[in-house]
Order: sequence, then C-alpha cells, then structure tokens
Amino acid sequence: MAKTIKWEKDFDRVLILARTENKMILLDFFNPL
Amino acid sequence: MGAVTYPNEKVVEFIETHLVPIQVLFDSQPLATKFNIQWTPTVITLDEEGKEHHRTVGFLSPEEFIPSLMLGVAKCHFDREKFGEAITTFEEILKNYPKSEAAPEAVYMRGVALYKSTHNAERLKEIYKRLQSEYPSSEWAKRAQPYKLL
Repeated sequence: MAKTIKWEKDFDRVLILARTENKMILLDFFNPL
Repeated sequence: MGAVTYPNEKVVEFIETHLVPIQVLFDSQPLATKFNIQWTPTVITLDEEGKEHHRTVGFLSPEEFIPSLMLGVAKCHFDREKFGEAITTFEEILKNYPKSEAAPEAVYMRGVALYKSTHNAERLKEIYKRLQSEYPSSEWAKRAQPYKLL
C-alpha cells in the first residue's frame, strides 16, 4: 500500500512536534472545491 | 496538489523526513489571517517557532515541489545564520534538481551564504558568473548583475 502524507490539523501540536523532532513545518492552505 | 503532487512517493518521503506537515482550509482562523492567505494552494515553510521563511502560491509538480521545499528548508537555516546547513541544502537542490525553477535562486542564495560566512566578495562575483553561464534568462541572473562589477 502506498504511503501517504500524515497531515496534522492542530498548529500548536505541530510547533511542539517541530521542536522535538528538529524539523521545519510545511503549512498548506487548501480549498477542497 | 492533492491529486498529483502530494500522493507522489518522493514527495511523501521528503516531507516525512524533513518536515512536520499541517493542512488547513484556506479560511481557517486564526491562521488564514495571520499568514494573509488570498489564494490556494498556498504552501509556507515555517521554522519550529512558527516563523515564515518561504512560500509558494499555485500548483507545483512533484519535480518542482521538492526543490521548492528544499529551498524553504535552506532559507530557514539561512535566515537564522546557519550558513553551513543552508549551503549544504542549496547544493543538494543544484545537484538533484538543476533544471528546477528553484535552482537559480539556490545558486544566488548559496553564493550569498558563502559570502556571509567568509566575507570574500569573490563569492558574490561567482554568483553572477554561474547564473550567466547556467541560468542566463532567469530573474536571479538579473538580480546578480551588480556583482559583475566586483
């Protein structure tokens, strides 16, 4: 099964993850239509 | 992006390795206002403090998106004066995606990072020479024109 991106939804959680994992953040604004 | 670029295996692998991805609706508050979102897709690279370093608006193919993300990572390092890490990432763009839209900017920014870490103006002149040689019609070649005089 193909791997997919595990998108986060909570910005505060993303900041914590980025600090603990020493990574940058990819913030995607999308329009579902 | 959702139909073509995000399902791409190399894109998934790059994001998983280097970034924490978050996807929100274009009108999601307070983020949409904080980042002044006017159109989609808008993709922004942030550091771990939530500070913006790079953004793109509009569709990018996987072959353009990965080097664009690399540019974002490199600019995060550059803006925080981590020039060695920035230079390494700019060079990875040039090695692996030399034909991408990100490549001329990588040449420019790599040279600036080298100059800022050595204070040797020859590094700036090298930006001009390389852009004239490899990307003469790029916007970045025009931006490097003043370095011809150094």
